[in-house]
Amino acid sequence: MKNSKAGILTPDYLFRMVGLCLFAYLFFGFMLMPCLNTLTSIFNTTNAAGQRDAFAVIRFFLAGNMKSYVWNSLKLAVALVITVNIVGISIVLLTEYFDIKGAKILRLGYMTTMIYSGVALVTGYMFLYAGDGIITKMLAETFPDMKTNWFSGYNAVLFTMTFACTSNHMLFLRNAIRGIDYNTVEAARNMGANPFKVLWKVVLPTLIPTLFSLTVMTFITGLCAMSAPTLLGYDSINPEIVRLAGSSTADEAFPQARAALLSIILAMFTIILLTILSSYERKGHYLSVSKTKAKLQKQKINNPIANILAHIYAYVLFIIYMTPVVMIIVFSFQTYAAVRMRKLDLSQWTLVNYFGKQDYSYLTSRGTYKTREGSISGVFSNEATLGGIKLSFLLSAIAAALACVIVVIACNYIFNKKNKKSGVVLEYALLFPWLLPTILICYSYRTFFNSNNVWYVGNQNLYFAQNVRLLLIMAYTVTKLPFSLRMVKASFYSIDEELEDAAKNLGAGGLYTFLRVKLPIILPSVLAVFALNFNSLFTEYDMSATFASTYGTSYAMVIQSMCREEGLYGYNINASGRRCASTVFIMIVSGIILYLVYGVGARDLSERLMAKKRRKQFMYKVTHLFSRKQEAVEG
Amino acid sequence: MIHLNNIVVKFGDFTALHDINVHVKEGEFFTFLGPSGCGKTTTLRTITGFIEPAEGTVVVKDRDITHVPIENRNIGIVFQSYALFPTMTVYDNIAFGLKIKKEKRDEIDRRVREIAAKVDLNDAQLFKAVSELSGGQQQRVAIARALVTNPAIICMDEPLSNLDAKLRVQLRNELKKMQKDFGITTIYVTHDQEEALTLSDRIAVFNRGYIEQIGTPNEVYNYSKTEFVCNFIGDINRLKEGFVAKLKEAGADVDEEKHNYVRLERLHVNVEPTEGQIAVPGTVTMREYYGLYIKYYIQCLDQEIKVIEKNDGIRIYEEGQEVNVVIDPRDIMAYPVRTHHEEQ
Repeated sequence: MKNSKAGILTPDYLFRMVGLCLFAYLFFGFMLMPCLNTLTSIFNTTNAAGQRDAFAVIRFFLAGNMKSYVWNSLKLAVALVITVNIVGISIVLLTEYFDIKGAKILRLGYMTTMIYSGVALVTGYMFLYAGDGIITKMLAETFPDMKTNWFSGYNAVLFTMTFACTSNHMLFLRNAIRGIDYNTVEAARNMGANPFKVLWKVVLPTLIPTLFSLTVMTFITGLCAMSAPTLLGYDSINPEIVRLAGSSTADEAFPQARAALLSIILAMFTIILLTILSSYERKGHYLSVSKTKAKLQKQKINNPIANILAHIYAYVLFIIYMTPVVMIIVFSFQTYAAVRMRKLDLSQWTLVNYFGKQDYSYLTSRGTYKTREGSISGVFSNEATLGGIKLSFLLSAIAAALACVIVVIACNYIFNKKNKKSGVVLEYALLFPWLLPTILICYSYRTFFNSNNVWYVGNQNLYFAQNVRLLLIMAYTVTKLPFSLRMVKASFYSIDEELEDAAKNLGAGGLYTFLRVKLPIILPSVLAVFALNFNSLFTEYDMSATFASTYGTSYAMVIQSMCREEGLYGYNINASGRRCASTVFIMIVSGIILYLVYGVGARDLSERLMAKKRRKQFMYKVTHLFSRKQEAVEG
Repeated sequence: MIHLNNIVVKFGDFTALHDINVHVKEGEFFTFLGPSGCGKTTTLRTITGFIEPAEGTVVVKDRDITHVPIENRNIGIVFQSYALFPTMTVYDNIAFGLKIKKEKRDEIDRRVREIAAKVDLNDAQLFKAVSELSGGQQQRVAIARALVTNPAIICMDEPLSNLDAKLRVQLRNELKKMQKDFGITTIYVTHDQEEALTLSDRIAVFNRGYIEQIGTPNEVYNYSKTEFVCNFIGDINRLKEGFVAKLKEAGADVDEEKHNYVRLERLHVNVEPTEGQIAVPGTVTMREYYGLYIKYYIQCLDQEIKVIEKNDGIRIYEEGQEVNVVIDPRDIMAYPVRTHHEEQ
């Protein structure tokens, strides 16, 4: 208890000090400094005469068309809030609240966005609806006058994102509706309310806090949209920032300062929205007062017409959700010709989109046929694609693990009673990236570290050559810190304080208690956070697009390049086939990860012991059978 | 065995324990009893070393352990939640302390199995996850884990509070039997007076960081030293002025200046008063039927008196019936009126 002078230099103390220094380095070096640099660069503009003109970019913003990017983003965000909420609430009610036939299958369809999102989803939708998409081609055959390029711009972005952004509804709103005490519904029915009245007066009010959070989250998603506007062509803030970041003063007026201004505007919106959200959350939620909750029972829609309409609506949504998935899976096993023509050929199936190579023949302008050997290649046999997968796999795994390690060490510090005040400071420091849009962080990294003058990284240009991978890892890690912290912190709360006391009482030291008692308890959560981080980073688009370069071509960028025109003069051949196979591959990876996290990871010790027992029994049976067979052979 | 000498514990400006003095004898089952926030758990945690007192000393077997680290005190503890490590099997939970002491593998195995047998845990249960065991079995694991390192003392912090009523009674008996078998000095914390009365050799009753009384169950129940103790332990009637005046009038030696109390089972309904007993007429206002006994609420003079009668099936009185409440003034416990200042 008493700090003697000799006691100050204990290994424990030194370890703590080194840890705190590293956190300070991370916070100041990789969060605060780059972002401050972006902020100040807005006011670092010069006019035509070469004189410093601090407010030039702001005047430019007010006078020129820069505002339109902000308006476009806002327009998208507002529209998304409406459409995503309508679809999101619908799918949750249809699968959880109303008695709809085939709800289980419907739910699986509605949940497909959880296994493929972002760039994979957008390219998937493009495969169906773009000018040369399957559905567009089918429609064009039926209606020859139809515009084939209908799927671009605002409407396409809104359509795609409406269905892409309902994953959170499926996660959180579903949980909220399942948490409703059915007795309250029964009480309302008993007092004479019809099912829709019950829904409106009893059920929905309890969902308002969740809906509010979802609305804010959707708004921010719309504002910060990146992959859909970029690929489908919509002038919103994020694609413009990336474009400006790659531009130079020779081409247009102070592109860097404009990019900085746009990212700061985005950050301001995000901060305001998150402040509103957290102050709303602090007010508290409607807490269920019942001690014995009754499980929600599905409500039958008594009006036959309403019932039929509800079923039709449910299945139309199901078709919208499932068509891309089914089409992509089916086409991933189709031949090059079938994929190229977007025409299903049920007589021929192949694995070439995944493995192996085929020769490609094409007609040259001289009217002769030319063959490129092995040009038709699959995801795992195409060097560029495989390179992207490997790079993303490695970078995502490192960043996901790094975020987990940082957060676990931080939580262990935060939850130590002795570090109350400094723990709070540390927590806020790690939550800092939550306030900032991803684009601001990566744009700041890209500009700040693109110099030889940052002393604390050894005066190395981190945006140069292979260093960019380091920058990607740092950006991946930093942006994943807030989510990881919230999740891991929640798991730390589940550690009963008495466990630590018990371990101490039985003679265990701090490190031993952490490794043997606390870590095993939080490990499933930490692994889950690792897996979820990895899952979202593996096909991450926003940061990859900002840092895109020869050495930093991640998987998402490879997928994007698969959308370019293919086959012209023998280049980019079979990109569509690989695109389908890629999406299937991503679905499988995500599916496995989600199964591991929510299926296997949720098992407790008793379930794991049972599984171990079953494995043992199985192994015993196998070896027994094997030895009996051998005996029979020898006999 | 254990001496707590003038213990004072402070949390910031708040003094949680004021000058606590307790002496626990070897092999004794000693209970700290009191309402929540009275300082009983704080005292226990001071003994185990989780809290360092601002003043005073903790002496165990003539050794001052006030500043000895928790792990070197050789005091076992059973927590309110049992604090069993959820990621370990029953076996690993029990073996935890021995592994830290770097005992040999064979020795650990021998001792774990030995203690498990003593607390009635079989081999199959040893390799289960703790979550698979029932509340009672979990408690036995917690006790085994606390005892396996051969501590000099075992401390239990409300170990029965998480259980339902029936199991609580069952485990209470098991606990007492185990303590007798092991013969280990036990300090037990509870807010349940019935538990304290049935289990303990001696009880210390806590209130607002002070000890009100230390005594055997019979002493604290029948000869409560303070008004707080007599109110906290068991149900009791406080006799109002009118009733006391009536007793005095009938020749009883009661002090009207004091607060006078009488236990429910010391009163009787409609019996013939023997020498020194006084009968006070009243009307039955309510009857609660418990099976084993019946509780009557009887309006006597200016107050309602509660009386418990054994359910012998002979005398059952109806609401509204006129009866006599018979009281022996020697059963009255009287306490001087404490001023507000004194209560502080």
